[in-house]
Formats: sequence, structure tokens, C-alpha cells
Amino acid sequence: MKRRLLAIAADGALILYFVFALFPIAWMIILSLKPPNELFSTYFSFAPTLDSYRTVLGAGSDEGVPFPRFFVNSLVVSLGAVGLSLVIGLPAAYAAARWRFRGSENLMFTLLSFRFAPELTVIIPLFVLYQKLGLFDTYVGMIWVLQLVTLPLIVWIMRSYFSDLSPELEQAALLDGYTRKQAFFKVALPLVKPGIAAVSLLAFIFAWNNFVFPLILTSSEAQTVTVGALSFLGGDRPKYNLTAAAALVSVIPPLLLALTIQRYLVRGLSFGAVKS
Amino acid sequence: MTELALRALRKTYAVRGRPPVEAVRGIDLELRSGELLGLLGPSGCGKSTALRMIAGLEDVTGGDILVGGASVVAVPARQRNIGVAFENYALYPPLTVADNLGFGLAARGRPREEVASRVRDMAERIGLTGLLDARPGGLSSGQKQRVALARALIREPDVLLLDEPLSHLDAAQRDTTRRELKRIQQDLGHTTILVTHDQEEALSLADRIAVMKDGVIQQLGTPYEIYDSPANLFVADFVGEPAINLLPGAVEERGWVRLSDTVRLAVQVRLAAGREVVLGIRPEDLRLAGGEGAGASGVVGAGEAAAGLEAAPAVAARVSAHEPLLEAGIATLALEGVAEPLVVQTGPEVRLGRGDTVRVSADPRLTHVFDAETGEALR
Repeated sequence: MKRRLLAIAADGALILYFVFALFPIAWMIILSLKPPNELFSTYFSFAPTLDSYRTVLGAGSDEGVPFPRFFVNSLVVSLGAVGLSLVIGLPAAYAAARWRFRGSENLMFTLLSFRFAPELTVIIPLFVLYQKLGLFDTYVGMIWVLQLVTLPLIVWIMRSYFSDLSPELEQAALLDGYTRKQAFFKVALPLVKPGIAAVSLLAFIFAWNNFVFPLILTSSEAQTVTVGALSFLGGDRPKYNLTAAAALVSVIPPLLLALTIQRYLVRGLSFGAVKS
Repeated sequence: MTELALRALRKTYAVRGRPPVEAVRGIDLELRSGELLGLLGPSGCGKSTALRMIAGLEDVTGGDILVGGASVVAVPARQRNIGVAFENYALYPPLTVADNLGFGLAARGRPREEVASRVRDMAERIGLTGLLDARPGGLSSGQKQRVALARALIREPDVLLLDEPLSHLDAAQRDTTRRELKRIQQDLGHTTILVTHDQEEALSLADRIAVMKDGVIQQLGTPYEIYDSPANLFVADFVGEPAINLLPGAVEERGWVRLSDTVRLAVQVRLAAGREVVLGIRPEDLRLAGGEGAGASGVVGAGEAAAGLEAAPAVAARVSAHEPLLEAGIATLALEGVAEPLVVQTGPEVRLGRGDTVRVSADPRLTHVFDAETGEALR
């Protein structure tokens, strides 16, 4: 009897948490489907309409917020940031995993420190620098500054993947007649593919969700969805329905990516290259 | 084929803030063409470092490596043409066995047909024909070891290096793989270095053995030389199963070494009286003379150290344990006043109980004498 009560209590607690966790999302969905005049109604009425989505997705809408453009900006900037981080970070992670050189640990720690220093602490000097260098409100500038977010993640996680690889695998390739570079590309890299998939997804999500950098370092040309979704709140009347629709649309790319990469994520967990 | 020579080969690892670690301190080795040399030593003795330097995976601090008379120290690993079978096999997991074997040939730009035919050839020689399409993950340890060996051999290397080839195999696979290894190496006639910590592996496979400790070769010789006349205490202790009995004592006049107030043994070497020595007697070189005369203690037998086994004096000992292992037993004896136990290999017919008194004799010709201070053999 007591056990049953406990089970019921546990279920109740779970349901409570479930509501707590999902209510904001449900609210967002409801909000995005409401016509503007019912946004602030104190009674419950719900006549769903897709008008908000039409407005948000219609380029150059009467709201003056080019949301589709922000969406494209976000894609370019996030993919660009992850791509650049992979190009720089994979060799860096490999080097850090395989060789202990003078200052290697300090270098790795410095890289990590980019993650625990709040972005706001550096944003003002960055803003001034970007203005002076002509990087303000450009793709290049955004991709560059997002390296602070994506690079440490990729280097640190990939280093542990490379460390788990037996060095003998590459040494065997060296003896087989491959150069160091070929051994890296032909042996080491294919073996950490699941890791690359997992870390790329994570880095993409962090880059996509970043708010502070585009808020301060872009104005219109390179602005991203996170900041763009807020522009619907400006003006005489905050248009929560449009913000909600924009936010929901901007969840789609990370979600799709996560679903496609899922099988690699699982493989990444159950992967063992060499029996030790 | 090719001969291999190491000349005063050294490797020092610099560790910041600490004295440098000398992993290999000047080793000299000459391998005849087609010879299989065992590099035997405990872990951390520098044998693997030496192997990695020969392969080109580790920079050389000093000395020279000659393959076929030419120095290869400045040659990168991929151009040295040295085959290595790694301890953990290091097979490429996503590739099939056939692709694993062909990987190195493909790297050298061999045409596809040639690669395929050489892979088939090698697979036939090493007994992998049925496994060519399997992936390493699905193979047994013995099969993986054969694939690793085949991969090292397929490039027709000048020198073959085997890193603990049998250490991950279970007892049954070990025996068959060892026989296979010997056959393949003799068939193909590669100059080979076998690195191992397992004396059985080295003794059974190698033409000659170099016993290493602390980066220095302690003794170089045939398995029989290593076993029959160990150069120092370390070699004596490291080679032999069960381990050699090491008994400290002091030299008395006329070829006797006193182990305790009541026990002394005869030796063949003549040394100045009073010198501190350690006697080394292999368990298989000791003879039990039976249990008659129980209770007798002290030195029994001929007063002079005679040369023959029959004339070898017997001493009384008490049995503290006896493990009857079918084909031969192991008895642990206690000599009166001697701290070290004496391990004796017994015949299968011997039945002993704890507390029994037996008489045991050691052949002076087979009793090794080492200097107590330096550990060097005294002959």
C-alpha cells in the first residue's frame, strides 16, 4: 500500500515537472497561432491562424523585419563557424592529444577559458575593434567571433576522442609508407567520425543560439534569428505572436540536424577502435 | 636478406624540471641475416623503446642503426621498410582483413591487381584465406595476431619487429601461434627482433637472446647460454621457471660456501675465504635423496667437493609445501638456519607432506656463484 502511494506520488511529481518543462513551449505554440487582437485577452479563446507564420516568413513584410534573411544569416554564420572550427580544431585537437609540447597544457587551458569567461566581459572592446576593422555587421566578423564559442568545444572534445585512439594505428600507417599527414587523414580522422558528428552538432547549436555577439556586433546585414526574433517586440505594440512564430521557426534547423545525426551520436558512445 | 646492427644506441627522454630519463643506454647488437633475436626484459627496461627506434617511430638520441650496412637513423619510418607487428595488433577497424593487408601496398602506389594477388598470396601463407572479408572486430586474438603479422610481412620488409606477439593470446592459441610464428619466420627468412617480457616466448623462438634491464643489455647469447651460464644475478633470476633459488652465503676454504651455521654447499669455483657470495641453483638442478636419516642435520656427505652428481653432498631439509603437478612437482623446502626457501623440482612419483624431512643435493657444476655486491657471475 505504502509502495503504491509512493509510486503515485512519484508519477505525480513527474507529471508536474513535465508540465513545468513543456508549458513554455506549449504557450509559445499557442501564442504563435493566435491572431494579434487576442494576444492580451484575459478570457480563453482560441481561433488558430497561421497568419503569424506568413508574416514572419514573408520576406520584406509590412513589419519591416526581414526574418527570412536573418534565418539565412544564422545558417551561414553558424555553419561557417562550425566549419572553420573543424578545419582549425581537428588538427589542433590531434596535436594536443598526441604530443606534449612546451606550453601545450597552457594553450589548451587558454582555449577553455574562452568558454568560462562571460561574453559580456569582452564585448565592448570587441565592438570597438570590429568598428575599426570593418568587421562590424559582416559574415566574416560573426564567424570569427563565434570561434570563441565553437573552437574550444571542438578542440576539447575531439582531443579526448583522438586520445582514445591507439597511437599504434597511425604508427602502423607510417610504417606502411604513409606520411604523418596521410596517417591523420586516412587513419585517425575516419575513426573519429562519430565524434566529429556529435561535436559539430553541439557546436552548431551553441553558435545558432548565441545571442550576445549578434546583438552587439551586427545591425542588419549579418543579424541572426536570436536577435531578429526580438525585433518584433519593438514599435508601439509588442507583437508576441510574431516573436513566438519566429522562435519556433528558428528551432527547426538544430532539430533537423540532431535527428539526422542521431545514429552517429549513438555510435559515438559505443565505439571502440582497439581492444586493449 | 638483410643484417641489422645497433651501435651504441641511446635514447634519453628530457622531462622538464626533472633529470632526464635514460631509457636506452648504449646497446650494441649484430643480427645475422635471417636471425631471430629475442630482446627480453621486464617492462620499462627499454626494449620497446629500442624497437621503436629501429622502426623509426622514435628519434634516436645517440648511436646508429644499420640495416644492410647502411645507417637508417635519418630515414623517416615510412621509407625504412621495416615491418612491425604491434602488441595490440593496431588493425584498422573499418577495413576488412584484405584491405588491412593491402593498405601499405596501396600507399606505395601498387596497381590494384598486384595488391590483390599479393594479399591472396600472403593470406594463404599465414592461413587467413577464409578471413579476408572479415573485419578485425570479429576476429579472435590469435587471428588478429596473424593478420598483424601478415600486414607486417606483405611489404617484404628488410627487418621484421615483433612486439610481444603472444602476450594477448590464451594458452591454447599461444602454443599454436608460437609454432606458426617460428615456421613463418624460418620459411620467409626475415631478420627479426622479438621484443618480449615472457622468457618462454624468447627461449622457444629466438636464435639468440639479449636480456635487457635499465636500458642496458645484461647478457647476449643463445637460449642455452643464457640459461646455463647467466652472466649476473638479474639474468639468473629473470630467466627460468620456476625461478632460480638465490641463497646468500660466505666462501669457506676448499670450495665450500656456508649458508648457515649448519648448512654448507660445495661449489666448483675457487674463491678467497670470507668472500660474500650468492649461490644460484635452479629448482630442476636439485636432487632429492630421499627421506632416510630423518632428523639428521648439518652437512652430510663427502668432505671434499667432488665433481660428480653422485658424490654431491646432500643436506637435510624440511618440507614446507609440495605442489604435485602431474608431470613434475614443486617442493618448497626450508634449510636449517637459512631464511630463503629452497624450491626443488621433483619427479612425478615423489609424494611429500608438510613437515617431512628430506635430503637434498646440489651438483656443484650446476651451482652458479655470484658476487654478493656486484651481482656478477664468478667463474
